[in-house]
Amino acid sequence: MNQENSNSAGTVELRGVSYIYGRGTPFEKKAIDNINLTFEPGCITGLIGHTGSGKSTLVQLLNGLLKPDEGRILVDGVDIWDEPKKQNKLRFKVGLVFQYPEYQLFEETVRRDIAYGPSNMKLSGEEIERRVVESAKFCGLDEELLDKSPFELSGGQRRRAAIAGVIAMEPRVLILDEPTAGLDPMGREDILGGMRSYQRARNSTVIIVSHSMEDMARYSDRIVVMKNGRVEASGGRTEVFSRSDMLIGAGLDVPQITRLWEILKGRGIELPDDVFTVERACEVLLDLLRTDLQTVKGR
Amino acid sequence: MQLYDIPVRTMNQPYIQMKNVCFSYNTEDGRPTNQVLKNITLTINRGEFVAVLGHNGSGKSTLAKLLNLILLPDSGSIIIDGKEVTSPDLSDDEVYETRRHVGMVFQNPDNQLVATVVEEDVAFGPENLGIPPAEIRARVDKALELVGMSEYRRHSPSRLSGGQKQRIAIAGIIAMLPDCIVFDEPTAMLDPSGRAEVMNIIRMLNRDRGITVLHITHNMNEAITADRVIVINDGELCMDDTPRRVFSQVAKLHSIGLDVPQVTELLYELGLCGVELPVDVLTYEECADLLIRKIEEKK
Amino acid sequence: MLKDITLGQYFPGNSPLHRADPRMKLILTLVEITAVFLCKNMYSFILLIAFTAALVIMSRIPPRMVFRGLKPIIFIIAFTAIINIFWTKGDNLLFEFGFIKVYFEGVMFAVFMIIRIVCLLAGTSVVLTYTTSPIAITDGLEQLLAPLKKIKLPVHEFSMMMTIALRFIPTLIEETDRIMSAQKARGADFTSGSLIDRAKALVPVLIPLFVSAFRRADELAVAMECRCYRGGDGRTRMNVLRYSALDFVLLAVFALFCAAVLLINRFAPGFSL
Repeated sequence: MNQENSNSAGTVELRGVSYIYGRGTPFEKKAIDNINLTFEPGCITGLIGHTGSGKSTLVQLLNGLLKPDEGRILVDGVDIWDEPKKQNKLRFKVGLVFQYPEYQLFEETVRRDIAYGPSNMKLSGEEIERRVVESAKFCGLDEELLDKSPFELSGGQRRRAAIAGVIAMEPRVLILDEPTAGLDPMGREDILGGMRSYQRARNSTVIIVSHSMEDMARYSDRIVVMKNGRVEASGGRTEVFSRSDMLIGAGLDVPQITRLWEILKGRGIELPDDVFTVERACEVLLDLLRTDLQTVKGR
Repeated sequence: MQLYDIPVRTMNQPYIQMKNVCFSYNTEDGRPTNQVLKNITLTINRGEFVAVLGHNGSGKSTLAKLLNLILLPDSGSIIIDGKEVTSPDLSDDEVYETRRHVGMVFQNPDNQLVATVVEEDVAFGPENLGIPPAEIRARVDKALELVGMSEYRRHSPSRLSGGQKQRIAIAGIIAMLPDCIVFDEPTAMLDPSGRAEVMNIIRMLNRDRGITVLHITHNMNEAITADRVIVINDGELCMDDTPRRVFSQVAKLHSIGLDVPQVTELLYELGLCGVELPVDVLTYEECADLLIRKIEEKK
Repeated sequence: MLKDITLGQYFPGNSPLHRADPRMKLILTLVEITAVFLCKNMYSFILLIAFTAALVIMSRIPPRMVFRGLKPIIFIIAFTAIINIFWTKGDNLLFEFGFIKVYFEGVMFAVFMIIRIVCLLAGTSVVLTYTTSPIAITDGLEQLLAPLKKIKLPVHEFSMMMTIALRFIPTLIEETDRIMSAQKARGADFTSGSLIDRAKALVPVLIPLFVSAFRRADELAVAMECRCYRGGDGRTRMNVLRYSALDFVLLAVFALFCAAVLLINRFAPGFSL
């Protein structure tokens, strides 16, 4: 990766960041406690943690919706609070998709709703149109849906329209807070697959907050584990998921396959640690059973 | 007034029977368009725990709403506890009597709670039934105890977590002493701990109190412990069997957009590569046993 | 941020005023309002101040909270005072400055008006709003007006609407917060620009909010039907309000106060309106 690329690749850094809820009230709580963290650019980072671990707060700190009480947040080396008046510009650089984003749709047509973000960026009509079409494609939205009212679409389609609305701003960093909440298996795969394609095509930084270990095991490159407002672990997927005790201690579950793996290892079978998906488990077991590795027939 | 002190488990005594039920939401000139349910025939026995699986839009929620007469079928008949509830001359009183016997818990925890104080919300159902105040009090206390929310009786529902709100909703239904409760994706909007809370209560109600449970979901982990699994695809009933037998049909489930437990998936994938193993396996232990035996064989 | 709005300013507590039946409190509020306007004689105003102070003490609500409730109407008080001091004519001229004439009567009017407004607000807030939860007020209203059902007034329905509104206000406030954050994340700007700009910027918040509110209403209605709701007929209540000795004692005290005011008006010397 050349120097120029890595500089503008969407690096997000937190230095000594803390955030306190309800300052001065009896409900005062330190939601984020002295976090030092760097989100690697150009990959998908999964942000996992028990409810109340601070994931949602962290995510809102990253795009400037909340201001840290202590510490600094740097995007591409620049402190995001250096120029408070330019907060809006930051929102365009760090895009945030909230949970159940379909509830924010409001325009008369899907096209215009997706265009809302770009038009706030004061772009030309042509540019906006180009972005609308492109982001709709990334999110798997048929072109014919663009001219319908968002309220005519199904739940899954509305969610994709909402995500497209944020992607259309072409943020360097894209954060998605539980993008698959409430979706069925097919819907989950569509959305996460789409996000992976988006990340690979744009080489942007994508951060996904999720409760599903299986989804994170499949789609993320790196993982950050949060516990009680602090970073409990951070590293490559393999590194983090192989530490079952740490994950359970952080109030999380492990991917189903990993549970099976633990049982097998407990019964004395020698197995490698880097197994969190069915595909990998299959590979390893086939090896073990000394079967010729036939190509797994497609579904 | 004892609340479910004696479990009633009389299997194979039909409680709900649906025969050739069809339903569509839109009608143009009296003809149904967009058929949501096509010729559904099924039986649910007293005390059974039946899971209904299907992708979003498969018609499973519509099925639920037909059972307590929120919706009426276009054709076909529904018999509940020996009574034909789809007959045109069903009186209002009889409709409400059916609703008392077949309670329903919905997906959105917030949009079921009516009162500003927890115990008053639980009392809502019995109040509507004209139950004397002293008995309502007894039922409310017992219901809150069953769902483990007694200490929150005077709290405001809006301050509770999703899982807690759902428990209150369930208590509100229990207080009406139904024979059967239909759960329409009750955990879809909850985090993992909320999901576990709610599933524990549902299972307890069925196992210890003999309540017939119809659990609608797209999360197969919740269907594993059911007595029976019904799979709906595009409005049609395509599977109706024990969890083991349903989930072993991996290819078919995948083709209709559903998941299977990862252990089942693993055995299936191994099978595709020529490793002969039974696929009707749902638990980690069983799977581990089978794999270890196979590994030992190869040695 | 919006979450910090506390509705109704209800202060939980255990004073006699907290424990009184909400129906009685509604009645007492009316009695009190009447009494305030009955006061004419300066001694009755003094009695009014003492009575109101006694109510505040009995409620155990910190006095500064009560005064905080008066802040919004400082303007009205000041305005009334000024009008009365400078424009009311009477018999006793106090002083003159050019064309400005201030009469004794004017000053007294102003003083009496101020006392009326302050005691009215402090008294009713301490008897009702600070010591009674919104839901208790709704319950009280419903059960108090229940006899009116006989003449087909939709008492229950009205009460149900109030209960549901109270139940959903915090939820809707949270939702508004969420939608605003989501639109801010797409570049919405609620704080700069002209008044028209800011109003326009609210459209992306109001539309989703309304759509969501309607959807909630729909789902809630279905849920209520599933729980056999069919209006007020045949409905019972778990918590039936019952009067206690305390309520009648309070009623007697208020009644005595009114009687005293009337007597003072009639027989006491001193300045009178």
